[in-house]
Amino acid sequence: MSEQYEVNFFKPLSDHAKANKKLIVILATVWFVGVFGFQFLLLLLNQPTPEKSYEKFQAVYPAVVEDAAATPEMKTEFAKSLLHVLGKNVALKDNHKVVLQNSLTWTLESMQPDSVKPVYNVEPNEELFNKAATDLNLQNSGFDKIMIDLLPTSLVKLDKANFPEEYKSELPAIMELYLVHNQNFFTDFIFLGFPFHYWYTAQFLLILFVVLCIIYAVSIEKANIKHNFVEET
Amino acid sequence: MKNLSKYLFSITTLLLFSQNLIAQSATELEGEFKLGPAIILIILLCTFVMVGLFNRAKDTSDYWAAGRKISPVGAGMAIASNWMSAASFLGMAAIMYGAGYHGLSYVVGWTGGYVLLLILMAGQIRRYGKYTAADFIGDRFYSKGLRGLGAGLAIFISFSYCVGQFAGIGLMFKWILGIDYTWAVLIGASVVLTYTLISGMLGVTKNMQIQYVIIIISFMIPMFILCYKFGYFFWLPQVGYGAVVADIVNGIAPGAGITAMGHDFAILPSPEFAMPWDPATGQTAFQWLAICFSLMIGTAGLPHVIQRFYVVPRARDARWSVVWGLFFICILYWSAPVYSAFGKVLSSNPEIGKLAKDAIVVYTAQLGDIFPLIVGFLAAGAVSAAFSTVSGLLVAGASAFSHDLYYKVINPNANEQTQMLMARIGTILMAAAVAIVALLNLGLIAQLVAVAFSLAGCTIFPLFLLGIWWSGSNRAGAWAGLIAGSTVSIVALVYFVAGKFGAVLPGGEFVNYYMNAWYFAIWGAPLAIITNIVVSKLSKDSTPVEIKKFLAKQVHNYKVED
Repeated sequence: MSEQYEVNFFKPLSDHAKANKKLIVILATVWFVGVFGFQFLLLLLNQPTPEKSYEKFQAVYPAVVEDAAATPEMKTEFAKSLLHVLGKNVALKDNHKVVLQNSLTWTLESMQPDSVKPVYNVEPNEELFNKAATDLNLQNSGFDKIMIDLLPTSLVKLDKANFPEEYKSELPAIMELYLVHNQNFFTDFIFLGFPFHYWYTAQFLLILFVVLCIIYAVSIEKANIKHNFVEET
Repeated sequence: MKNLSKYLFSITTLLLFSQNLIAQSATELEGEFKLGPAIILIILLCTFVMVGLFNRAKDTSDYWAAGRKISPVGAGMAIASNWMSAASFLGMAAIMYGAGYHGLSYVVGWTGGYVLLLILMAGQIRRYGKYTAADFIGDRFYSKGLRGLGAGLAIFISFSYCVGQFAGIGLMFKWILGIDYTWAVLIGASVVLTYTLISGMLGVTKNMQIQYVIIIISFMIPMFILCYKFGYFFWLPQVGYGAVVADIVNGIAPGAGITAMGHDFAILPSPEFAMPWDPATGQTAFQWLAICFSLMIGTAGLPHVIQRFYVVPRARDARWSVVWGLFFICILYWSAPVYSAFGKVLSSNPEIGKLAKDAIVVYTAQLGDIFPLIVGFLAAGAVSAAFSTVSGLLVAGASAFSHDLYYKVINPNANEQTQMLMARIGTILMAAAVAIVALLNLGLIAQLVAVAFSLAGCTIFPLFLLGIWWSGSNRAGAWAGLIAGSTVSIVALVYFVAGKFGAVLPGGEFVNYYMNAWYFAIWGAPLAIITNIVVSKLSKDSTPVEIKKFLAKQVHNYKVED
């Protein structure tokens, strides 16, 4: 007879407890799959997807760091890709920023005739920023304007004779870190203005949680009435 | 009523007066005393105290029973107010601002846990009928030692929870008063302590409803303005900001507006803000899942959350108060990403420098060139959110100290006066200790609060889960499970603190990644549950028949022969 008061979720002893267990299992499953299933799906579908700047960087990087083979257009593309990453202000780590700033300034310097090069060995000024904008052929509109605005915080005084080898070797990994992203169908599909995966996690899951709670509160009351379950004694 | 009208008239006059005085430079993000926000903050705090005075609890039972007089909607608002802290108001946007999609694990984790709480515990806890988490643990596992340990854990969890809140209060006081962080934390701690000692026994539930309304309104107004100002769908900013996220991914060309600092509202393509587990954020899918899981089970194990179900009149009300509470919480959680998205664009120009992430909500409003008084109201809302949570936690921690530890374990003969004195001493000691830890700047607000959730998930949650749903879980199992969960917690915290102070412990990198202080419950909770089950099965100890009968009859309504 002692089994009549053994409480075990998996072995409910009354019809009401059985109904409650069934309800909990269904809701917990929906909850679990809704939250974690979708994240696993994202994980499964994710593909490393480069931004255009990264593709351009990869195309010109070998030539630019070797210098001899690089054309001014290549260096311009290279510098713009560096500026693009420097524009990721919030995400950028300080040590990466130093590498990018120096690489950008070295690239611009390498585009100058020898007589002009010394201006890069002093603190950058307004004149240099304007010159850099002209050298990079940046227009005063669109994303180019953002890049022009980035120049004052992106150019630095060069204090070494050559483009340091460690900066050259660190660059590819830094550029890959900031310019290659996990993307898939769900991240590219727009829903209510959002990338779908973002909407799903930031908005839909919360709606789902509220709905699951309402379903439980309503269902358990119905089960209470059906099975004559008196909650308050 | 006459007094209240006079008070409201004074508030209006003061606000109009301050409006002239706050014609300060909107481009100054930090560094100066801001009169308008300071006046709003003082008015809000005075309002809370006065509402408390008008709804003063006559005695202890009235204080606890306050929740029994209000509807589930009102109780839901109280749950939401109690829940929405500096971590919700400031911390979530901060994490999303810095780590993009990774931050959504906090949004999901801090809401999804309510589903577990509702379907597994709310009604059952109400039917069990104890007053505190320690009461339940001590009674269900028939152990005075476990009761004491439960009370100690409740205090420690409240303590950890408070650290993040004090950091938030410090940041907002720093912003309002224009002083450095250390002084801001000390002044903020003194104000919140005074506030708690004055309002601790006042009309708490009524106050919580008012606090909820103020917190939500202060959070919402700037969102509408930001969306309107920069050309996004502003009737429902929670939907309107979706286009901001998509635009951040693809880049925003200049032309949509100008920030308070004179920069374009523009950004180069930045998919790292929205893409899942972007390498640039340094966060992985494992960390996302681990944080989400830990916060969810922590929600269902937090003593001050569980305790709210003891004081509702009926189990049905306990359930519906969770439903309403979650809905009210979600209103804020649907909104928090708005600030991170606008903040990302508005602070994208490197000339702005690196902003303190935890204050990004307020900085975003400032950079959006929103009227300073509204920004001040927003900052005051953040302080209110932290105050409402901290005062509740300090009261809960102090009552655990005086009632569960001092009276029930140390000195059962203590009279009510001595207990009250111990509660006051406990409140002061706890506030002082929390302020000291907050000064160490150990992490972001949301991360610091996440520690409390992992602690609760590793210790309290397994005891409640098994205590309610399996009468075979006995004292030996409870002890073993608690020791297992606590060991994981201690290891994670020791490695974390050692790392912060530069000490290198064996396997430090491994532990700090897989068992980080923000999400160690992903291992600790399952381990505690499994240990509890295995030891309960193996031990000769058995749950007393009276407790089994009580559980079956009272909590699960089985037909039990006496």
